[in-house]
Amino acid sequence: MSEYNKVTPEIIEQIKAVVDPKRVYVGEDINEDFSHDEMSIYGKKMPELVVDALTTEEVSAVMKIAYENTIPVTPRGAGTGLVGACVPIAGGIVINTTKMNKILGYDLDNFVVHVEAGVLLNDLAEDCVRQGLMYPPDPGEKFACLGGNVSTNAGGMRACKYGATRDYVRAMTVVLPDGEIVKLGSTVSKTSSGYSLLNLIVGSEGTLGIITELTLKIIPAPKEVISLVVPFENLADCISTVPKFKFNHLDPQALEFMEKAIVQKSERYIGKSVYPQVLDGIEVGAYLLVTFDGKSQDELDAIIEQASEIVLEAGAIDVLVADTPAKIKDAWAARSSFLEAIKAETNWKDGLEMLDECDVVVPLNMIAPYVEYVYGVGEKMGLQIESFGHAGDGNLHIYIIGDDQISVADFQKKADEFFDDIYAEATRVGGLVSGEHAIGSGKLEYLAKSVGPRQMEIMEGIKRVFDPKMILNPGKVCYRL
Amino acid sequence: MEILVCIKQVPDDSEDIRLDNVDKVTRVVNAFDTYALEMAARCKEANGGSVTVATIGDDSAVTELKSCLAVGAQKAFLIKDPAFAEYDSVAKAKILAAAIGKIEEANGAKFDIIFCGKEATDFAKGMVGIQLASELGVGVTTDVVAVDPVDGGVSVKQETETGYNVIEMATPCVVTIQKPDYDPRYPTIKSKMAARKATINEVEVAVDDAGSLTKVLKLYEPPKKQAGIKIQEETVADSTIRAVAIMAEAKVL
Repeated sequence: MSEYNKVTPEIIEQIKAVVDPKRVYVGEDINEDFSHDEMSIYGKKMPELVVDALTTEEVSAVMKIAYENTIPVTPRGAGTGLVGACVPIAGGIVINTTKMNKILGYDLDNFVVHVEAGVLLNDLAEDCVRQGLMYPPDPGEKFACLGGNVSTNAGGMRACKYGATRDYVRAMTVVLPDGEIVKLGSTVSKTSSGYSLLNLIVGSEGTLGIITELTLKIIPAPKEVISLVVPFENLADCISTVPKFKFNHLDPQALEFMEKAIVQKSERYIGKSVYPQVLDGIEVGAYLLVTFDGKSQDELDAIIEQASEIVLEAGAIDVLVADTPAKIKDAWAARSSFLEAIKAETNWKDGLEMLDECDVVVPLNMIAPYVEYVYGVGEKMGLQIESFGHAGDGNLHIYIIGDDQISVADFQKKADEFFDDIYAEATRVGGLVSGEHAIGSGKLEYLAKSVGPRQMEIMEGIKRVFDPKMILNPGKVCYRL
Repeated sequence: MEILVCIKQVPDDSEDIRLDNVDKVTRVVNAFDTYALEMAARCKEANGGSVTVATIGDDSAVTELKSCLAVGAQKAFLIKDPAFAEYDSVAKAKILAAAIGKIEEANGAKFDIIFCGKEATDFAKGMVGIQLASELGVGVTTDVVAVDPVDGGVSVKQETETGYNVIEMATPCVVTIQKPDYDPRYPTIKSKMAARKATINEVEVAVDDAGSLTKVLKLYEPPKKQAGIKIQEETVADSTIRAVAIMAEAKVL
């Protein structure tokens, strides 16, 4: 393990010489938010110093000082991660990129947009829409920074048709751990030019370099969109329809499965009642939420007619059509509010959030048996479980929730035991540890178990090439403190 | 109960609407009219009868009328009038009143109750329902969240700022609908496909004195407010001194 140095008064002065002192925070001036992300269960730690960076050059200057003095540095965007990746668990410096939030410009000849890393996903998405464009990656958390999205290879609802963030990264400016600035990739749409360092940085969670600027691929926005809410009696029937869409040349933009209990919880939270609970006297057990896009209303009408035939044949109770922007928004509002709804409806002991989650990805034909297995384990252990996920790509979100009857220590012990079991099962059925939330510190040991020692060594070796002093975001992905 | 629901086409307010793009925004049925239709459909399902929808407009309104047929209406009438966009609430009420007679004739039955949204989400004047009752010479209750039949009329629940009024009205009558505690249903694929094939009845009315009493001269956005001044001195005392100085400079003190 590397020995790290502390941030001394001399270092503070050196940093204040390269960054406006008003944007350098130490001690009590540091906001408590910098000690955690959205999952404080993986541990909190305050940094010794926080810098609000405004330019690539500032990030570089701070990195140089940190490198010379062997001080750990953790890059951070909006802090919306779910695996502790932006938590400075080794202390040291946090470089906050949220003020690098300018959309630098569109290049519509090459269909790319240039942005600073701290631009919020929501801001880019809305800016694109105003110009008839679309940035397809659509992670549930819209107020994450694009730098963070790239660092975790965030996926989201539209990954089903359009792929994950990686598929939209054309080029980036990166500050390496020793402070050197490199530009990776270009606006071109294909490359066969040596190892793809660009793709190595995508999904590396700020352990290899700090992304400061990005060139992202965009597409013309689809003209028309329509969503279907498809109620089924049970989850197995619901999920078995998924491959049938592809076989029938239907290419949904998004394809989500949701169980009734969590949909009801979410609708209570947002004050809506869009999803029917009983239809034609049949109790609904699960829903598919499907979105199609197309060039015209007529094209979409034909698509939803065909899609409806497929799902009704596969056992759907009925098909509800969200055919106006407001209806689509309401149907998706329930899906987007699951985490908040769980938090709002749970009484935790002393207000401590006892919530843990995993986002395994499994082969499509394993979704239903895997979810059934997970519920079996949960029931055996007396755990409250909620699950939902991207049926179109096999990425599941499984939450376990503690209540006021259980202490934090007992909850964590049970959570460890539960996750040990279900991660092993995911590996056994051919799945992987994370579909889109990444590894951080929270899932490192599960990754190690899933991929084995040789792959972990290779990953650590790659990190050492980029970062010989192991100062950049240590304790994450593959490198243990 | 024979129910008529009057609907209006409006720009979908879940999209970004500005005066310079309003013509490009998707047209939908006014949200309060969708609540009215849902309440009417539930009323019909509980008590029998039928639900008819009507709107004043041109052929572009056919899509919205069909969408109503997919979520609880059995019949739809387009009161065709190319000048509809020019009319104010009074003129629209007169045209509706005249058209209702023709629709009743076509339906072979008189309406017991007429539902209108409490207001439209575009101009939010909230007048047509009340003016219509006046034209028809029948009673009206506004901000209604529930309707139940009673002997000789209906009992309606009116939402007020402090609670609810329960009011009994003789039929025929007009109610304007506030959002109830449920959402309008979504069309099913079957009801949507059936509605797509349905024919929309057309009526034309000639109203001699349908002239509007008011006229919109100009639509414009209010001037943008200037950004405020942020005062953040080292101490509260310094901030206060600065605030007073700014006010003195602006000659408000």
